[in-house]
Amino acid sequence: MSLDPRVNRIDLSKIGNEEQHTNSHLITWEVFHQEKKGKQVIHVGIVHASNPEMALVLAKEQFARRGATTNIWVAKTSDVYSFSYEDEDIFETTPSKEFREAGYYKVRDRIEAYQAKNHTV
Amino acid sequence: MNKEAIKELLYKMGDDALIIGHRNSEWTGIGPLLEEDLAFASMAQDKVGHAQALYQISHEVLGDKDPDTIAFQRTEKEFKCCQLVELPIGEYDFSLVRHFLFDHAELIRYEMLTASSFKPLAQLAKKVKGEIKYHVMHADSFLKQLAKGTEESHARMQAALNFAMPFAYGIFEKSEYEDVLIKEGIFGGEEMLREKWLEKISAVVTAAGLTMPQVADSKIVYGGRKGYHSKFLEPLLDEMTEVTRTDPGAEW
Amino acid sequence: MYGNTHLTEEEAKRLNVTDEDPEKLAAFEAKIDRGEKIEPGEWMPKEYRKQLLRMIEQHAHSEIVGALPEGTWITRAPNFRRKLALIAKVQDEVGHGQMLYSAAETLGKTREEMLNDLMNGKSKYSNVFNYPANTWADIAVIGFLVDAAAIVNQTINSKGSYGPYCRALERICYEEAFHLKQGHDNFVYLATGTPHQRAMLQEAMNRWYRPLIHFFGPPDRNSKHSEKLMKWKVKLASNDAMRNQFLDMYVSKIQEVGITLPDPNLHKNADGIWEFSDPDWDEFKRVSGGDGPCNKERLEVRRYAEMAHRWVREALMNPSDKYKIPLA
Repeated sequence: MSLDPRVNRIDLSKIGNEEQHTNSHLITWEVFHQEKKGKQVIHVGIVHASNPEMALVLAKEQFARRGATTNIWVAKTSDVYSFSYEDEDIFETTPSKEFREAGYYKVRDRIEAYQAKNHTV
Repeated sequence: MNKEAIKELLYKMGDDALIIGHRNSEWTGIGPLLEEDLAFASMAQDKVGHAQALYQISHEVLGDKDPDTIAFQRTEKEFKCCQLVELPIGEYDFSLVRHFLFDHAELIRYEMLTASSFKPLAQLAKKVKGEIKYHVMHADSFLKQLAKGTEESHARMQAALNFAMPFAYGIFEKSEYEDVLIKEGIFGGEEMLREKWLEKISAVVTAAGLTMPQVADSKIVYGGRKGYHSKFLEPLLDEMTEVTRTDPGAEW
Repeated sequence: MYGNTHLTEEEAKRLNVTDEDPEKLAAFEAKIDRGEKIEPGEWMPKEYRKQLLRMIEQHAHSEIVGALPEGTWITRAPNFRRKLALIAKVQDEVGHGQMLYSAAETLGKTREEMLNDLMNGKSKYSNVFNYPANTWADIAVIGFLVDAAAIVNQTINSKGSYGPYCRALERICYEEAFHLKQGHDNFVYLATGTPHQRAMLQEAMNRWYRPLIHFFGPPDRNSKHSEKLMKWKVKLASNDAMRNQFLDMYVSKIQEVGITLPDPNLHKNADGIWEFSDPDWDEFKRVSGGDGPCNKERLEVRRYAEMAHRWVREALMNPSDKYKIPLA
C-alpha cells in the first residue's frame, strides 16, 4: 500500500519486467514569448512536441502560466539558424565603433567656445 | 428570479468542475510527457477555480455557505455532478477523451451563459471562456493526433470514446428547474446545449478518422444531476475531505 | 527542488584534464575567470561537460521525483486555497524538471536517455525525496523547508558558468519564491492552529529534521568535490557552507511559532557556525544507495509514467523528424 491514494489506483503491472527504457524522442521546438503587444518576442526555452499546434498548446502551459502573455511563437529547433560561437570574433569590434553611438557626438564645447568668442550670450 | 433554480445550476456546474478538476489533478507528476503533465495540471487548476467561483456566486448572491463549506462539507447525495466526471482517471486514453467530451460541452455552456439574464453568471462566463477555449484546443490537438497515430492509439481512442459516450450524454440530464431556467433567460437549456455539442464533437471525431458511437437512449447514464452517483463519488469525497475531517472547525 | 551534488572519492580521482588541448583549456578557464558564461556549442573540456551534465541531470530527476512525495496529498488538500496552491506547486516542480532536462539536452544527452538512466538506477536524484509524506503536515514542512533548502542551493548555482543552466535556475528561483511562501503560510497555519494541528506539524518536523540536514550532502571533510569544479564554477559553495546558510536563515523561523527541532545539540557557536548532533551519515549513504523508505515506490511510479504511456509517445512521433540538440 502506498501513502498516495493515486498510486494505489495505478496498475503497476504495466511496468513489465524487462530492462526498462522509454522510447525515442520527439523533436524540440524553440519557444518565444511576447508579454504584451508592442514588446519584443523573446526566446524562453523549448518544448518537446510532434507538430506546431501541439508545440503551441504545450508551450502555453510551460511558459505562460504566470504573468501576462499576448502571444507565443514556436519554431522547430532544426529550422533556427545561428552563428557558431567560434565566430564570435566577428562581433568583437562592434562596441568600439563609437561613431554609431549618440554619445560620440559632443559639440557643446565648441558651441560654448564660439559663443564666448563672439559674445553672443 | 428563481433562486432555487439558479442554485441548482450553480451547483451542478460547480460540482462538475470541482470533480473533474480533482480527477485531472491526479495526473500531476505521472502523465505521458512532462509537458502534458503541466497542461493537465493547469486545466485542473482552472476547473477547481471555476468551481470556487460558482460556489462564491451562490455564497454572495444567494446567501449560501462559503465555497469551502459547500465543497468540503456536503454529502454525496447533495452533489449534482454528472457521473462522467466521477470516474477514476483510468489510463490516459480515457482521461483525454473525457476531457474532450466534457470541455466541448463546457465551452458551449459558458458561451450560452454569456447572455444569461443572471448577471453574475454572465460575467463569470465572459471571464473564463478563454480558459475553456484553451482546454478545447488542447483536447482537439491530442485527440486528432492520437486518433491518427498508430494502430494502437487509434484503437484506444475509439474504445475510450465508445466507453465514455453514454456517460457524456449524462452531462445533459435535465433538472427539475430546466423550464424555469429557460423561461427566465438564465440558461438556454440542456437540450440546446446537447444539440450544439453533438454537432461540434461529431465534426472533430469524424475529421480525426474516428466513428461517432451510437448510444441508445436507454444506455445513457443519468442520475448525477438528481444526486444518484456512481460508486466512485463517495470514496472520492472521503479522500478529498480526509484532512478536513480530522479536525472539524480547524482553519487550514 | 534539489539537494546538493557531490563527487565520490572515485569520481574525484577520475576527474582529469590532462588530455585537453592546453591552449583551448586556458582560454576556456580565462573566460570563466572573467565571469563570462559558457553557451552550448562552445568548446568545453570533456570533464566540464560530463560533470555539468551529471549535475543538471540529477537536478532534473530530483524535480520530477520530487513531485511524488507532495503529490501524495494532492487529492486531499483541505480547502480551495490549499488545493489550488498544491496543484500549482507540484506542477511547477514538473515544469522545473522540463526546463532542466532541456538545459541538459544542450550538452548532448536526450531527455529519454536521461529518463532511462533514472529508471535503471544509473543516475541519481536528491535523497530527500526518498522519504514519505505521512500526513498533511509533511506537506507544510516540505513546502516550507525543503523548498527553502533548495532555494539556498539553486540561488548559489544560478551564478554558475553554464548559460542554459543559469537561465533555467533564474526562472526556477523566481517560481520557488511562491513555493516557499505558500509552504510557510501552510506551516504557520498549522503551528498557530488547534492542538491537533500543532501536534501533527511537530511530528512532521521531527521526521524531516534529519533529511533536511542531509539535504546539502555529506560534510566537506568527506566530500571530494575537486577544486577544478569550483574553478569552473560548476560548484559554487561547499556543502557545509550551504547547510550553514540554510540553518542561519530558517531555524529562527521554525522556532518563532513554537515548533522545536529534535536535536538538543543544535546551536550556533561563537564563530557563527551551526553545530548539530551527528545526523547519521551512514543512513544518508544507505538511502542514496537505494535502501530508503520510498526509493522503490518512487522509481516504480516513474517507470509507470514512462512505460504505461509508450503508446502515446509512439503515436505522436513522426518518422521523418530528425532530432536536433536544442539551441539554448
